[in-house]
Amino acid sequence: MKKIEIPPEENLGHGHLACAGCGAAVAMRLTLKALGEKTVMVFPASCWSIVPGFWPYSSYRITAVHAGFVTGAATASGVRAALDVRGDDETLVAVWAGDGGTFDIGLQALSGAAERNEDLLYICNDNEGYMNTGTQRSSATPLLAWTTTTPVMQPKENPKKDIMAIMADHHIPYAATATIAYPEDLIRKLEKAKGIQGTRFIHLFSPCPPGWRMPSEQTIKISRLAVRSRIFPLYEIENGRTYTIQEESHVVPVKEYLKLQGRFSHLTEKDIETTQRNVDDTWERLQRRARC
Amino acid sequence: MRRVITGNQAVAYGVILSRVDVVSAYPITPQTTIVEELSELIASGRLKTRFLKVESEHSAMAALIGASTGGVRTFTATSSHGLAYMHEMLHWASGARLPIVLVNVNRAIGPPWNIWGDQSDSVSQRDTGWIQLYCENNQEVLDTILQAYLIAETVRLPVMVVLDAFVLSHTAEPVEIPSIEEADSLLPPFCPDYPIDTQEPRSYSVITTPDYFLEFRYKVQKAMEEVPEVAKKVDDEFRSRFGRSYGAIERYGKKEAELLLMTSGTVTSTSRIVIKKLMEKGLSVAGIKIKRFRPFPSEEICEVIQGAKKIAVIDRNLSAGVGGIFAQELRASLYSREERPQVFGFVSGLGGRDITPALIEEAVQYTVEHPQPEGDILWLGLKK
Amino acid sequence: MGKQITFKRESEMPMISVSLGDMEWNKTGAWRTQRPFYEEKTPPCSAACPAGNDISGFILKTAKGDWEGAWNLIREENPFPGVCGRVCFHPCESKCNRGSFDEPIAIHALERFVADFAPRLSKKTGKAGEKRKEKVAIIGSGPAGMSSAYHLARLRYDVTVFESFPLAGGMLRMGIPSYRLPRDVLDRELSNIEALGVEIRTGISLGEHLKLEDLKDYQAIFLSTGAHRSRGLHIQGEKEKGVLSGLDLLKKMNLSKRIKMGEKIAIIGGGNTAIDVARSVIRLGKKATILYRRSREEMPAFEDEILEALEEGVKIRYLVNPIRVGQKDGPKRLECLRMELSEKDESGRRRPVPIPHSNLFIDADYVVIAAGEEIGASFLPEGAEKREGIVLTRRDGSTGIKGVFAGGDLASNQRTVAHAIGSGKKAAMAIDAFLQGKDAEEVIIQHLIGEGPSLSIFGYLHPGERLRNPHVVTFEELNMDYFEPAKRQGESKSAVKERIKGFNEVSSTLSEGVALEEAERCFGCGTCNECENCYVFCPDGSILKREELFSHQVDYDYCKGCGICFTECPRGAISLKEEAK
Ligand SMILES: Cc1cc2nc3c(=O)[nH]c(=O)nc-3n(C[C@H](O)[C@H](O)[C@H](O)COP(=O)(O)OP(=O)(O)OC[C@H]3O[C@@H](n4cnc5c(N)ncnc54)[C@H](O)[C@@H]3O)c2cc1C
Ligand SMILES: Cc1ncc(C[n+]2csc(CCOP(=O)(O)OP(=O)(O)O)c2C)c(N)n1
Ligand code: SF4
Ligand code: SF4
Ligand code: SF4
Ligand code: SF4
Ligand SMILES: [Mg+2]
Repeated sequence: MKKIEIPPEENLGHGHLACAGCGAAVAMRLTLKALGEKTVMVFPASCWSIVPGFWPYSSYRITAVHAGFVTGAATASGVRAALDVRGDDETLVAVWAGDGGTFDIGLQALSGAAERNEDLLYICNDNEGYMNTGTQRSSATPLLAWTTTTPVMQPKENPKKDIMAIMADHHIPYAATATIAYPEDLIRKLEKAKGIQGTRFIHLFSPCPPGWRMPSEQTIKISRLAVRSRIFPLYEIENGRTYTIQEESHVVPVKEYLKLQGRFSHLTEKDIETTQRNVDDTWERLQRRARC
Repeated sequence: MRRVITGNQAVAYGVILSRVDVVSAYPITPQTTIVEELSELIASGRLKTRFLKVESEHSAMAALIGASTGGVRTFTATSSHGLAYMHEMLHWASGARLPIVLVNVNRAIGPPWNIWGDQSDSVSQRDTGWIQLYCENNQEVLDTILQAYLIAETVRLPVMVVLDAFVLSHTAEPVEIPSIEEADSLLPPFCPDYPIDTQEPRSYSVITTPDYFLEFRYKVQKAMEEVPEVAKKVDDEFRSRFGRSYGAIERYGKKEAELLLMTSGTVTSTSRIVIKKLMEKGLSVAGIKIKRFRPFPSEEICEVIQGAKKIAVIDRNLSAGVGGIFAQELRASLYSREERPQVFGFVSGLGGRDITPALIEEAVQYTVEHPQPEGDILWLGLKK
Repeated sequence: MGKQITFKRESEMPMISVSLGDMEWNKTGAWRTQRPFYEEKTPPCSAACPAGNDISGFILKTAKGDWEGAWNLIREENPFPGVCGRVCFHPCESKCNRGSFDEPIAIHALERFVADFAPRLSKKTGKAGEKRKEKVAIIGSGPAGMSSAYHLARLRYDVTVFESFPLAGGMLRMGIPSYRLPRDVLDRELSNIEALGVEIRTGISLGEHLKLEDLKDYQAIFLSTGAHRSRGLHIQGEKEKGVLSGLDLLKKMNLSKRIKMGEKIAIIGGGNTAIDVARSVIRLGKKATILYRRSREEMPAFEDEILEALEEGVKIRYLVNPIRVGQKDGPKRLECLRMELSEKDESGRRRPVPIPHSNLFIDADYVVIAAGEEIGASFLPEGAEKREGIVLTRRDGSTGIKGVFAGGDLASNQRTVAHAIGSGKKAAMAIDAFLQGKDAEEVIIQHLIGEGPSLSIFGYLHPGERLRNPHVVTFEELNMDYFEPAKRQGESKSAVKERIKGFNEVSSTLSEGVALEEAERCFGCGTCNECENCYVFCPDGSILKREELFSHQVDYDYCKGCGICFTECPRGAISLKEEAK
């Protein structure tokens, strides 16, 4: 077994308020390790407005700019502009936004920034719902999942929005998916993104134990099964055109992934088949996109 | 240098002379010529400002919040729906104590769609923690922008400079344009309190519990309370350099008049003519121009209304269910005084309808004739 | 840093809500309902090793390239890694968790590798320190006796080994042929034991040259004389010339005695001795045929050995049972009956029954009977009870006579080198307990590996060190997400043509590269190998890496008890328990 190598610096301090087993907390720790201190990170509203702690404290050991829910990409564009004016082209400007702040309310600002090809590293921390407000659906919530606004009598009727395709079609220099069960892949992608100019997008998949109704010790396991079941494949897109898929050698049926999570416990065999078909279709579509 | 320029061009000059670092804006009539002018200036290399051509007003303000946090001087301009769309971010800018300057070209908010002058857009942002300064002419527009930065960066609050649609924005007037050196001597470079410094990482706008939120808002209010004095100093300084000053309010016409007419924006110019005419007819009347709407110049007003029995206010805005907002604010300012003149709240000119000398005269006439108003709202020029 | 900040007055507060301190004061450990902790557990391989080797420990060191460390770790329990790595039947491997994933780790091959490579790096054998006054006598220098001598010497006793043969080593020298166990390997490991101050007095036989009463100077005695008497078949002609027991033949060959046996040799029996005889005979350029009364499936000899024997040209005839050795002198004619298998007997094997009138004759120049070995009882002192062919001992290896202990083949029906080594170690601990006035059984129970019977002396020799955990890690407790299937790397064997030319070792020691590869396959069940998973995945940065510690530590100030470290530890080295309220 290969030893996992990650940078030693800890830029997320102790005592933060993330739920026990929060996947995003793992993601944040790893991300801040990869990005390092010379980073300004913009935080539109999400769990991460609260997790680092209440004033006068913060567990971030990097510069953090909290911002309105809608405004991740826009606020960051402004920070970037200011740093440019000040002649600082070394500091990285990043955004850490939830799926709500990315797929939904922040999509316009993100699209604007991407179209302008702002020099930003935009990280969408996807926990498939509005978790900070107590698990409501977002357009990143998967098909048939339970949330407080998609109760089991009427679970989510629509499949997840394909944010990567949307971002790819902005022809930004770099977009990649990543998740915490693959820390080295995540860090490699962040480091790669760091070295590129223009808008870079990381779709970061982070299981949320309370929101997904799953045991906290399963966070990494579920992250891994997401990739193995291909419901969340790992891949990179350069300039909206060149696809590189990090294929998992162990492929499992999506059922393996679904069955560990309470938010899917109401699914019938037929529902699982439907989900599997949806996964297969999306995978097929990704392959097609990657081919041409 | 004296040039004949539109109000929107005056804005552009204000931006140049203030050495704004970052502009972010989104077009909306009647503000568009400002962004066009700035784009031209930047494209031609005459202006070394970063212009973020964002996809919405919300983002425009958000971008400035980012930039201002980053420690540079920022500017945007908008109007009407654009300002309304920014609303959330207006609160954010003031709460974060960012000295952003925004020009709002007053325009009605639809529906129905209407692109003409109406102050409802800016007055409805009165609770966002922004200083609001209304202009009467293009010279004042330019001068106010310069003053706005000085005030904003002193008290650490954002400033909204307001001018009327078309009547100023698109109307050319002779304007004295200071040289950049003169402007520099007035306005030193922006020096932020908490500049971003990755060597000393900090978190900005950290979530705050009920334990301290009240205190932060108290500080905003305290900063607002500093504005009259700071603004006066700035205005005095400005006068000493350029020979022009504006005050928070301006009283004109008869001394110790019984009847006062309160206006803001370009209506004041019309009112000046009407007042002059009525004075000549022997009426005991004077005018009050409200330049600074936020913080509301209660004290300044009270100082100049001694002996007045009635105050007629012409509001080009409407808070439905209450009436004109200037009148409403005036009533509130007078309430704690022993001597309280009657306030006649006229609402007129919404959606860009002309407030003609005749209408102003009608308002004064009504005020003269009635011991008290027949209601909180007196509709002026309404097709009954 | 890390302190709480409060403001009494608004004027002390900054203008905006910029952070002024960190959250270190917020001890999130208080949220915890379950507590993770590092707990080294016992891998099933170790629990299955009769010699008590710390298998995961030595493999981990091997994987890190620390061969000397690995060697020393094995020798904490077992002075014969070079021997065991070659001839142990490796029950450890059948219990190896990796077997449930792809193929078990080639533990024996790694043990052999370490034993062969490490001594080249180090000549250190570790002095035992000043001797105690008590003296211990050991009878028999086989693996049981030498293992107990080794450990007793480490316990600083004055040890003398009495051996009837002219050379030490027991069956390792007399029984096991050198193509399986080169004598230099045995000599090396024996001399390492002698280097600890152990005296071996050869040519002295208990019963013959020596009586128990002559050993009054010794405060304790360990009997480990093995099982050296060949069992007979009780058939006509078996006592004649030209008929010899397997063990006697091997002894002769191993003592380099010349034996006249003609060309065609018939070997009766199906055990390892029969195979060893057949393969040795082949190496002398003769023809060997094994006669076995059951079928291939029932053959007790090891499958690998059978295969190698067949490769080398040994013939095996199944379902034949000799009933008479014909002809007194010269070539022999064996009269046999054909057999068939009926239902299973108590050993679980199908019982052979003769087919009437199926008599057949097999010609051979020489007949070897390899029907198993029994203990020699004649020299046994009075008071040592025997039952079912072995000397009866208690759990601590003690016999009915005070101060006399027994082990190895003499006292067990599990007759393997590793068992003998284990029993020697047990005797050493029991003798020490006996001499120091401790409860020997208690000592043994305390140091069992898993649920036993494997035993570790490490904790006994190094009081204060953590004892082996009774918790034996199951496959289900491991996290297979971190392992990819990888082929098991075994020793290579020389070509059959080469092999049969003489008594050179058949298999060769792993090369360094292959050994590393194989060592890396080991899951390290129950032992932290600093893979860093817990550290990488902890959402709360609550895994402390400490230079001075081998293992990591949980920072209970902040650990929220999510259990991620527990789940993501690939090898079950972290446990989780409910937090005490
Ligand atoms: C042919 C053969 C092959 C084997 N191959 C394997 C194998 O591959 N793997 C495996 O694990 N096991 C194997 N075994 C079994 C293994 O050798 C024994 O289980 C093991 O050697 C037992 O060790 P021990 O110390 O108890 O006895 P032994 O090894 O038999 O040693 C006893 C010693 O005591 C000496 N002795 C006996 N009586 C007296 C006396 N009265 N006075 C003084 N000294 C005395 C003997 O000479 C001998 O040296 C094999 C056995 C045989 C016969
Ligand atoms: C304009 C606006 N609308 C709604 C909210 C309330 N709100 C805050 S966070 C949030 C959900 C965030 O979801 P997501 O972006 O997925 O982040 P998560 O909390 O799941 O990490 C919502 C709805 C807000 N802060 N601002
Ligand atoms: S709600 Fe979910 S995403 Fe938010 S802190 Fe808790 S576990 Fe993390
Ligand atoms: S002695 Fe035998 S059982 Fe023990 S480790 Fe070595 S091969 Fe395995
Ligand atoms: S994988 Fe390694 S530690 Fe686990 S049982 Fe096998 S040899 Fe022992
Ligand atoms: S992963 Fe970290 S927080 Fe979770 S139980 Fe382990 S040490 Fe505690
Ligand atoms: Mg979310």
